[in-house]
Amino acid sequence: MMIKKYLVSALFIALSAGSAYATAPIKTEEMGLSKTSVFDVPTPRVYHYSDAAPGANKLLPRAYLGAPPQVPHAVSDFLPITRENNLCVACHAQPDLWGKKLEAGMPVPIPATHYTDRRNAPDKVTDHLINGRYNCNQCHVPQTDAPALVENTFSNKKKR
Amino acid sequence: MPITRRDFLKQSAIVSSVAATVGVSINEVASAATLNVEAGWRWDRGVCRFCGVGCGIQIATEKGKIVATKADINSPVNRGLNCIKGYFNGKIIYGKDRLTQPLLRMKDGKFDKQGEFVAVSWERAFDEMEKQFKRHYKELGPTGIGFFASGQHTVQEGYAAVKLMKAGFRSNNIDPNARHCMASAVAGFMQTFGIDEPSGNYDDIEHTDTMVLWGANMAEMHPVLWTRITDRRMNTPEVRVVNLTTVSNMSSGISDLEIIFKPSTDLAIMNYLAREIVTRNAVNWDFVNKHCAFATGPTDIGYGMRGSDKFDYAPEKGTNGRELTMMLDAQEAIAQGKQAGATVEQKNRNTADKHWLISFDDFKKGVEPYTIDFVAELAKGDVDESLDDFKAKLKMLADLYIEKNRKVVSFWTMGFNQHQRGTWVNEQAYMVHLLLGKQATPGNGAFSLTGQPSACGTAREVGTFSHRLPADMVVNNPDHRAASEKIWQLPAKTLNPKPGSHITKLLRDLEDGQVKFAWVQVCNPFQGSANANHWIKAAREMDNFIVVSDGYPGISTKVADLILPAAMIFEKWGAYGNAERRTQMWREQVPPPGEARADIWQIMEFSKRFKLKEVWGEQKIPGLKAAGFADGVLPDVLTGSGLSPEATLYDALFATADNKKFSWPDAVGKTHDNHVSRLLGDHWFPEKALFEEYASFGRGHAHDLAEFDVYFRDDVRGLKWPVVNGKETHWRFNEEYDPYVKKGSGFDFYGKAFKKLPSGNLDGVTNAADTDISGKAKIFFRPYAAPVEVPDHDYDMWLSTGRVLEHWHSGTMTRRVRELHWAVPAALIFMHPDDARARGLKQASIAWIESRRGKVKATVETAGRNRPPKGTVFVPWFDEGVFINKVTLDATCPISKQTDFKKCAVKIYKA
Repeated sequence: MMIKKYLVSALFIALSAGSAYATAPIKTEEMGLSKTSVFDVPTPRVYHYSDAAPGANKLLPRAYLGAPPQVPHAVSDFLPITRENNLCVACHAQPDLWGKKLEAGMPVPIPATHYTDRRNAPDKVTDHLINGRYNCNQCHVPQTDAPALVENTFSNKKKR
Repeated sequence: MPITRRDFLKQSAIVSSVAATVGVSINEVASAATLNVEAGWRWDRGVCRFCGVGCGIQIATEKGKIVATKADINSPVNRGLNCIKGYFNGKIIYGKDRLTQPLLRMKDGKFDKQGEFVAVSWERAFDEMEKQFKRHYKELGPTGIGFFASGQHTVQEGYAAVKLMKAGFRSNNIDPNARHCMASAVAGFMQTFGIDEPSGNYDDIEHTDTMVLWGANMAEMHPVLWTRITDRRMNTPEVRVVNLTTVSNMSSGISDLEIIFKPSTDLAIMNYLAREIVTRNAVNWDFVNKHCAFATGPTDIGYGMRGSDKFDYAPEKGTNGRELTMMLDAQEAIAQGKQAGATVEQKNRNTADKHWLISFDDFKKGVEPYTIDFVAELAKGDVDESLDDFKAKLKMLADLYIEKNRKVVSFWTMGFNQHQRGTWVNEQAYMVHLLLGKQATPGNGAFSLTGQPSACGTAREVGTFSHRLPADMVVNNPDHRAASEKIWQLPAKTLNPKPGSHITKLLRDLEDGQVKFAWVQVCNPFQGSANANHWIKAAREMDNFIVVSDGYPGISTKVADLILPAAMIFEKWGAYGNAERRTQMWREQVPPPGEARADIWQIMEFSKRFKLKEVWGEQKIPGLKAAGFADGVLPDVLTGSGLSPEATLYDALFATADNKKFSWPDAVGKTHDNHVSRLLGDHWFPEKALFEEYASFGRGHAHDLAEFDVYFRDDVRGLKWPVVNGKETHWRFNEEYDPYVKKGSGFDFYGKAFKKLPSGNLDGVTNAADTDISGKAKIFFRPYAAPVEVPDHDYDMWLSTGRVLEHWHSGTMTRRVRELHWAVPAALIFMHPDDARARGLKQASIAWIESRRGKVKATVETAGRNRPPKGTVFVPWFDEGVFINKVTLDATCPISKQTDFKKCAVKIYKA
């Protein structure tokens, strides 16, 4: 255990320090996202998506200003999205809620940007969802219980 | 002034409430409300780091860090929309384990292949790299070294790499990961049109009535184009979308017709369409007579495997043995007009690309066996679907293509390209469109999409393939070598006429000791290449030296001997070229972390360590035979050249007098840095100088690029080449749009390659005299061929591999973004619930996936986004923990040498 700890910190120093060269060697098995030899076959962890009903969970934090919100509830019953059937839109198309304070459990309304045809009439908000925005899951994705593999230091404005 | 969370929310609320009024300008509202938040931010253009769509983005930086990105509203590609990956262009560079120092395997202060990685200075790193390079180069010559290049190299990096390898080291052993991605498309273009890359552009989506996806799950792999397709389909009731695939996938949701076919039978479906076009008298004879010629080639071309069992694991011998002789199954025999059970010696393994002209009658004879009955029986991919239903679908597909005034675009990517007959099936797509005359007009055309952000711009246009030079030129053409030597100011015969090793062969060369030094940039070949157990062992156990330049540690860095920390996308200047011939550029936005440096700096800095006398003397090239060259030898080109033997490759190739005229700083740089120029210290602007030098290859030759600065103009968001008199070209080969088309011709397929050909029939050449078909495109007859490995009693299921929406390639960037990792944390085995049940498995079971080549474990998914038919599993390859390329087969298209990652036989059982 001690040895492992030592190696991890050596790796950390070597990979994140500035110009001072770490002299401790880095074990190959400690590099990368799978902490194992490339010749080994690891057993995967099983991950779970939230089984919460829409409205049951709190909103997830945005990655940064302008990043698409992630989905905090179960989606398996709502997919696939087809031309005939889009249950995301059924719930989230709520232009009446634009600008209103959302009570707990209320759906986040699809915003006005999604009612704007940026290819053909880029400046005008229309009264309908633009079909180019119809495939919600191309940007809005549910989240599992997976721990982050590596810390990420991207600075979210909100943290300042 | 710092913005608090409360301010932030307040401003967001303002955006929403003001914009709530229908008719108000959304842009004005948004920009007013975000003004305060953005104070101090610098916005500048960029292009998305990920797929071949090439979406424009805007990047905000503050105090040397990227703080936000957004989709570029002014980009004609994506008009203000990104996919989920695209929104994390900024975040991908901030994983905590970024490589920031060179790391060398050492023991007791010295390099040791069995040592652990130790951080060293750049000087120490280059010292060892130079020593090891020179040791192996001296022993083996130019063929003993290799370079793994990339469709994610910037244009300038790829250009510098190819110039260093081909002109400097006189080695053609440079090949990109784009070989795995685009090579079949290239071969298809070159053989059909004589010139590479698509005639159309993305606006075809808004012009067409019908979009047919051939093995291309665009909803996940080209998501922003999919939004355009969805918009077009849903706004226009008469538009139709067809999804042909081996696995039911996300693209089926918007499609009108989903056709599930068996692996490789796309070849047969294409010939069914051709037969229908002929029998329904739907050939556009006016177009075909004026602009096309019929052609075919040999069928006994092998499967791109070694053809030797020396390195086989025992279970591999069966599959690999078929490389030399293949027994025809009943359906393949019918498809090729041969005897079932016949053993066919694969005589044309090394001449797979030869082809000849045939008559229309021969073409008609070729497609004759492909009746609806034959093809439906062969191609139906879902055992639970009735034959009648499947036939009805094929007929609907034919109806859509053939309907007189219906415009049709066919899209494909890896389903066609990663195919043991990838070149053939690309050519068949053109076959269908050319027969109908539905090619090269707005809304009509066979459209090869691309996987990587600069597979077109760098790998193809610059020519980082083992046989290529810039602007579609090739090393085994003396005129092309001479033209390149002139631009590069090289002594005559510096360039090596013998094509080098393609990427899969480079790995095989490492295994058999023919290549002992390799440099990897912007790719992860040891995770991304099929049959990987062989290659990771070769890297670690053979006497060789492997250098990997990367931003993050991954499988390839773990098998390296020296790791060089690389600057990532917006930490350097660059240019990418997307799938619609659009070249886009960006400035350096932020400094690279620690001692990470741009790949182009690494290339040029390494070149300083070579004097001309070390590389341009006589060199041995085993197997070289070319007019004007002694067998097996590249001549001494230095003696009598007037060049100083003491000059370095840096002086001769990069910091030339002409290039140094482009000085840094430059007005186009505005407030941006250029760390490459600064570190080189000699005040020139390498990315601009090398771009302009590179552009001189294509200007006047139908590959014209605009001047460097033009791409940074406010009113420019990339330009589609050829750019002639400042105007980009929207549709090539069409007189109305393309200035290179001969006036009065209507259409002119002016590509010059393979236009003088012998003629014959389906069996071979009967008249060796060349016929000149300049200006015409070829309509190929290509038969169905069975895959080299099919499921049997022991390995009873098909394995197909691919990507997922949330992750890019081997996942080294996207898996370090929490939001993307949380969305898809691991690669799953997508399989039919009945297949799972039959093996004692269910949702979330852990199972082994085993082939004759290797095995891995993964979690079973029976209800996910991919729903394979019985008998097939799909496993994505992004996850280094589910190293699926240990399982896949390294068979390639024998013409393009592109690996088929889409089909091999596996067994699945409980772990």
